[in-house]
Amino acid sequence: MLRLENVTKSFGTLNAVDHVNLDIPQGQMVGIIGSSGAGKSTLLRLINRLWEPCSGKIMFYEDEVSAYKGQDLLDWRSNCAMIFQQFNLVKRLSVLTNVLMGRLRKHGTISSMLMHFTKEERAMAIEALDRVDIVDQALKRCDQLSGGQQQRVAIARALMQDPLIILADEPIASLDPISAAHVMDTLRSINQKEGHTVVASIHHLSSARAYCERIIGMKDGRIVFDGTPSQLSTEVVRSIYHVEDAEVELEHDAENLAVACV
Amino acid sequence: MIQTKNINRDLITEMEILVPEAFHIPEKQRRYRFITISGIVILTVISLWKLQINPFTIFFGIGKFFQMVMMFFPPTHGGWISEFIYAMGETLAMAFLGTLFGFLFAVPLGFLAAKNIIPSTIIHIVLRRFFDVIRGINTLIWALMFVNVAGLGPFAGIMAIIITDTATLAKLFAESIENVDTSQIDGAKSTGAGPIQIIRYAFIPQVLPIMLSNVLYFFESNVRAASILGILGAGGIGMQLYDRIRIMNWPQVFFIIIMILITVAVIDTISKEIRKAIVANPEYRP
Ligand SMILES: Nc1ncnc2c1ncn2[C@@H]1O[C@H](COP(=O)(O)OP(=O)(O)O)[C@@H](O)[C@H]1O
Ligand SMILES: [Mg+2]
Repeated sequence: MLRLENVTKSFGTLNAVDHVNLDIPQGQMVGIIGSSGAGKSTLLRLINRLWEPCSGKIMFYEDEVSAYKGQDLLDWRSNCAMIFQQFNLVKRLSVLTNVLMGRLRKHGTISSMLMHFTKEERAMAIEALDRVDIVDQALKRCDQLSGGQQQRVAIARALMQDPLIILADEPIASLDPISAAHVMDTLRSINQKEGHTVVASIHHLSSARAYCERIIGMKDGRIVFDGTPSQLSTEVVRSIYHVEDAEVELEHDAENLAVACV
Repeated sequence: MIQTKNINRDLITEMEILVPEAFHIPEKQRRYRFITISGIVILTVISLWKLQINPFTIFFGIGKFFQMVMMFFPPTHGGWISEFIYAMGETLAMAFLGTLFGFLFAVPLGFLAAKNIIPSTIIHIVLRRFFDVIRGINTLIWALMFVNVAGLGPFAGIMAIIITDTATLAKLFAESIENVDTSQIDGAKSTGAGPIQIIRYAFIPQVLPIMLSNVLYFFESNVRAASILGILGAGGIGMQLYDRIRIMNWPQVFFIIIMILITVAVIDTISKEIRKAIVANPEYRP
């Protein structure tokens, strides 16, 4: 159970995340929607502790995640894998090395400086790459891959962390519809088979609806909607995106994606 | 053709009203241009006057130059070829060791002086100023000082190269470290990697190719510098060159100059190939 209590993050006078309270039971697949600047990325970075909250608490079961320091903090990040819109892979390293980076937390300084990974870890990495269907690209350098392939490498890296939670910040916003569907299918399958909690911010309302059991709507740093996809009415969507004719465009979008998924 | 011209004229008047600045060199820019050109002209005149250079000195200078060039021919080694090759080797070794140790010292210093590694402003400013002061003193001056302290020989030359290269490379490295793509750093950080691991897995792959290509360039220019350092008594080919100049043995001077030029050209070609193999090669994994 992940719990956010009154979490706030401000940049100057702007509250990018504004007194957010949230409970996410282990194993849920959650989509965060909201227009650009609503605070989705900030919220996910706070959960992974890439950024520090200004106030409030982040709890995981009985432990106060937001108080972690040093080794505990690194352990938390490793337990809480993150996937980014721009993939955030190390471009000049091979796909395999990038995936193996998911194990760095388990390594001492010396073994990792020598890039010495065990046979078991290499086998795990290949298995993870197979899981996301790009085992044939394992030895290529990351900058040789397409966006969709890079995002799958990022998922494989997350799998290597053997995390409790996977956070995904706009994982499909830079991808074509086919790759997007593939990535979302993989995230759903990880959620269902491994039981990892998945929290993804998703720009496309239709994908959020299609893949997530629970949808959280954010606006100006606050949570303005929290419910199931079917509870997400046009009025709510309109208020989240503050655009009058939003639903027309979004419904159209949904059809496109439904076609891509089939 | 003529028809389109007519249409264009209407379009021109219309667009000129819309953005008049797009059709003329702005007043401000014209003023800067005038200031720059007249500044260069004035400086040239003052310099020529200060150095008492006039058409006569230039004329005689060129005459003497040609006289000397005639004395250079034919270039010969006069039976000293093995000494020359040995001395060239000494110069190359001086440049190599100087560059290598300069690089090895510059890497950690570069990281220490990068704001995104050590956020302390004080450390940052102190280190950067320190690099600037060292760089501000020419390699030749450092060599003269080391010749006084450590005596004649290659060691003084190597030390001079190490000192200036460390400072210059550290500054360049710090800047390229500060300009890394932060998304790759975030990616590594998000896995729970520690600070040293982040440097190894996310910084090094981004900055090492830039570092290496800088170092290759520095090696090349250090071979040239090391040839000159020989003149100050640091040994190597420069020492041979200086001896020949003193006894005015111009054919041998010319021979040595050709040797230096060929060596530098060969190194230039090789380092260009290595740089290509590093920067543009998808097989390269730093
Ligand atoms: N590093 C930062 N410095 C200053 N302001 C920021 C920074 N990151 C985000 N913001 C601001 O915080 C708000 C929320 O941003 P973000 O979380 O990226 O929104 P979203 O991901 O929903 O588009 C925006 O107004 C943005 O301008
Ligand atoms: Mg965002």
